[in-house]
Amino acid sequence: MIRAHHQVLLVGMLVVAACRGAAPRAELPPLAPALAHADTACLIAAGRPASRDTVTIALTEPVDPAHAPLPRNVAERFLFAQLYETLIHVDCQGRVLPALAGSWEQGAAGRWTVTLRSDARFWDGAPVTARDVLTAWRARDSSLAQSIAVLDERALSIDPSGRSFQRFADPALAVTKSAPGGGWPIGTGQYWTTGAAGGADALWASPMAGAGLPALKVTVAPASEARDAVDANVDLLLTSDPAALEYGRTRPQYQDALLEWDHTYVLFAPEASGLELGALRLESLPQAVHVEARAAQVNDGGLWLADLKRCDVAAAAAPTLAPPRRRIVYEQADRDARDLAARLVGLAALGRGAVVAGLAPPAFETAFRGGAEAAYVLRVRRRTVDPCAAARELPAWVPRGSVTPLIDTRTHALVRRGLPRLSVDWDGAVRLVPR
Amino acid sequence: MSFRARILIGLGLIVLLPLAVFELRVRADMAGRLTAEYQRRVASLVAVIRADLSRDSAGTAARLDALKDAIAADNRFRLAALQGADRAYLLDYAGNAMRVTGLAMLQVQDDQGRIISSGHFRNEYDRVEPELPRLLAAAPGGMALVETRTAEASLLALARADSLRLGGRRLTLVGGVAVDSGFLARLAPDSDLAVSLALPTDTPTRVDSAAQVVSALAVPFVDLRDAPSLGEARIVVTHSLAPLAALRRRVDAAFAAAVLLTGAIALLLASWLSNWISRPLRELARRTAEIDMERLDVAFESDRADEIGALSRLLGAMTQRLRAGAARLREAERRIAVGDLARQVNHDIKNGLIPIRNVFRHLLEAARGEPDRLAAALRDRQGTIESGISYLENLATNYARLYPQPAREPCDVNAAVRETIRRVSDASRGELKSVLADALPAVRTDPLVLRRILENLIGNALDSLASPGGTVIVGTTRGAGGDGDSSVVRITVADTGRGMSREELNRAFDDFYTTKPDGTGLGLSIVRRLVLDANGALRVETAPGAGSTFIVELPGEAE
Repeated sequence: MIRAHHQVLLVGMLVVAACRGAAPRAELPPLAPALAHADTACLIAAGRPASRDTVTIALTEPVDPAHAPLPRNVAERFLFAQLYETLIHVDCQGRVLPALAGSWEQGAAGRWTVTLRSDARFWDGAPVTARDVLTAWRARDSSLAQSIAVLDERALSIDPSGRSFQRFADPALAVTKSAPGGGWPIGTGQYWTTGAAGGADALWASPMAGAGLPALKVTVAPASEARDAVDANVDLLLTSDPAALEYGRTRPQYQDALLEWDHTYVLFAPEASGLELGALRLESLPQAVHVEARAAQVNDGGLWLADLKRCDVAAAAAPTLAPPRRRIVYEQADRDARDLAARLVGLAALGRGAVVAGLAPPAFETAFRGGAEAAYVLRVRRRTVDPCAAARELPAWVPRGSVTPLIDTRTHALVRRGLPRLSVDWDGAVRLVPR
Repeated sequence: MSFRARILIGLGLIVLLPLAVFELRVRADMAGRLTAEYQRRVASLVAVIRADLSRDSAGTAARLDALKDAIAADNRFRLAALQGADRAYLLDYAGNAMRVTGLAMLQVQDDQGRIISSGHFRNEYDRVEPELPRLLAAAPGGMALVETRTAEASLLALARADSLRLGGRRLTLVGGVAVDSGFLARLAPDSDLAVSLALPTDTPTRVDSAAQVVSALAVPFVDLRDAPSLGEARIVVTHSLAPLAALRRRVDAAFAAAVLLTGAIALLLASWLSNWISRPLRELARRTAEIDMERLDVAFESDRADEIGALSRLLGAMTQRLRAGAARLREAERRIAVGDLARQVNHDIKNGLIPIRNVFRHLLEAARGEPDRLAAALRDRQGTIESGISYLENLATNYARLYPQPAREPCDVNAAVRETIRRVSDASRGELKSVLADALPAVRTDPLVLRRILENLIGNALDSLASPGGTVIVGTTRGAGGDGDSSVVRITVADTGRGMSREELNRAFDDFYTTKPDGTGLGLSIVRRLVLDANGALRVETAPGAGSTFIVELPGEAE
């Protein structure tokens, strides 16, 4: 899961770009053709879309409408992907697919011209105009908004300097407008909703007219109750809880779809922390957590934090550090971060007498910024379309300290057989595919 | 120091000294008893804690024993521990077992002392720590306090070790219950008793034996931090003496209140008692001070049956005797004066008669020898005769003027009162009443004197009335004399006037002292002399604003 401040702190800009292979290129990618029905490369379910009127979804993390459209955990990533739309999608193979943008081209001056889909509509039926896009982006990225010119009702001209086109798949750049009275922002996605999920209540998301999609009934429950969802024959369960996955695998009507290694736990250590990891058996770290994990792999072109030097991030702004406290801190709700911190203490990474400390999100962010602790265990997205921009969002001491990837983790999708088509985006977001 | 002050001090000491002694004794006894009780409670609690630790140790042993059976029957554990399969199950095993068994510390070590599963610190797996079970085995009773650690903090546990064989390998279980503030709090049955833990690594703290009762229980201690060793920790039981101090303060406060209250009561009592005793003495002293030869009419009447009453009556009898003696003295003086006067008169008369007798001899000689010259001789000597007669007449007149001899005769006092009232009654000056007793004995005195006494007293009483609405009551009663046999006639003249202060009363009988603008200041002085001359007594009862009552007592005639 990614907390709000993580998003802001690290990657408010983490954008999905590709499942495998290199990071997205800076030049304008070609317009991918509409995927053929037989293209199942990114599908985790391939049932007939019309076979169900309602699809029941079980999520094990909280969903907060106030976070929309920028997801902060796997559950929000799934739901927001259905409700909100960016200009483009990047599928699990890195292919750029049209979304709100129906086409794009590069002009003679090198500017990108993006034309919106002619049938793009907000939930309230209002057509989506180029000015709506500009208004939505201006609220989230003013520098990006300044590089955009509205050509007509549906066309935008974008200065590409220093940008990757895949950036427009960033959920933060989803086009929304505020709803009267608050609540869910009005989006342009294939589903709309006004409800809330939590406790015994389910959130209903209705398909837009003509989308050819079943309605979604989304329930949110703690991970410890995920097996109850399996017993209730839920259609899709997104979880990393090993007990629930093991239980689901015993049920023949379910298939366990592995999603990508989408998160990496990283140990940030200020320069003066005296943390010495060289002699430690870090290969034992995956055993320390309760989710599926592997030793962090940084040489697969994945983790953007592996090489910050290329970004030439200035470290001069590092704060004056007092001798750090001999403890490894983590965000207290992240059990896996706690397990990793405890393992590092168990390995005597800081010598005897060191401890771990779980901090509430505001306190953790303050501590992380301050750099007064010996080390911080943090979960980050493995990839971003703009690593240097993300690096510039880190606390100033990070470039002078050490960044040690610990483990990679991923979420599983427990899918009921016969479910309508589900595809996976580059960032691991699961999306229902219309007929 | 006055008699009154002595009574006050004496009574105060009598009351306060025993109280102070009593309080000191109570404080000392209370402190001794409570301290002994606290020591007994501390000793009892130490014994209870020793039993509790043994029970906890036995409970831990039982749980480890049950865990051994569970491990032996758990094939999944066997596979994980012996063949390395399902490592996650093995790593979580101790934590799950710890929660099931209620232990706070649980560690499973292999035969190399390597931690293969830890409940209190899951991710310390693979650490080699063979000293812990070895030291526990060496500890008395196989139990010791172990300071180990979790990921977040150090953990103090009362632990013991056990072992089992699994597939030819020896596994060691180390389990224990947490010794934390809750554990210590459970050992203390009430808030007055405190249980704390002193580890060898702690900085020694000074024990204030004046503030608490202390006892300690030694417990084996395993320190794993640097060089693992077996030491000794102490469970310290203290009983604060604060309740005793508070009790002392309350007792002190109660005694202070008692002392204050008793002191106040004693002061009031002493004041009342000293006043009760000294007031009649002071009054007697005051009256005695008034006595002189001119004022022997001071009353010493008392109806008290005690010594003061007796003294008062003795003084009354003495003044009565003094009055009688003074009367006799005055009578003697009068007789002496009368004798002198008689001799003077005799001399003067003889001096006056001698010329006359000489004239008569001359005349007789003339009559016998020269009868015809008798007439001439008479004429010659007529002047001498007339001069002698005139001298005698002048002499008589002069003597008559010297002293009016009272004519003592039985007088009816009631009649004199009625006559006087009739004569001086004046409605414009105030109401005049009489309350006269019947069958009064007559008094022997000069009616004129009696009349002058009554006129003066009644007149003064009327003059003292502040307004015409006032009343003067003249009363007569019969009383007993100081010797008990004779009788007196008591005349009271009571007015409702302004009364007199003590100072005014002291001077009321002085010559020329008056409070009236046109007074001569001789009225009461004359009354006093007249009463004393009549062998009577005069006293006054008065107070400012309460009127005055003049009481005249005259000896009654024997019946």
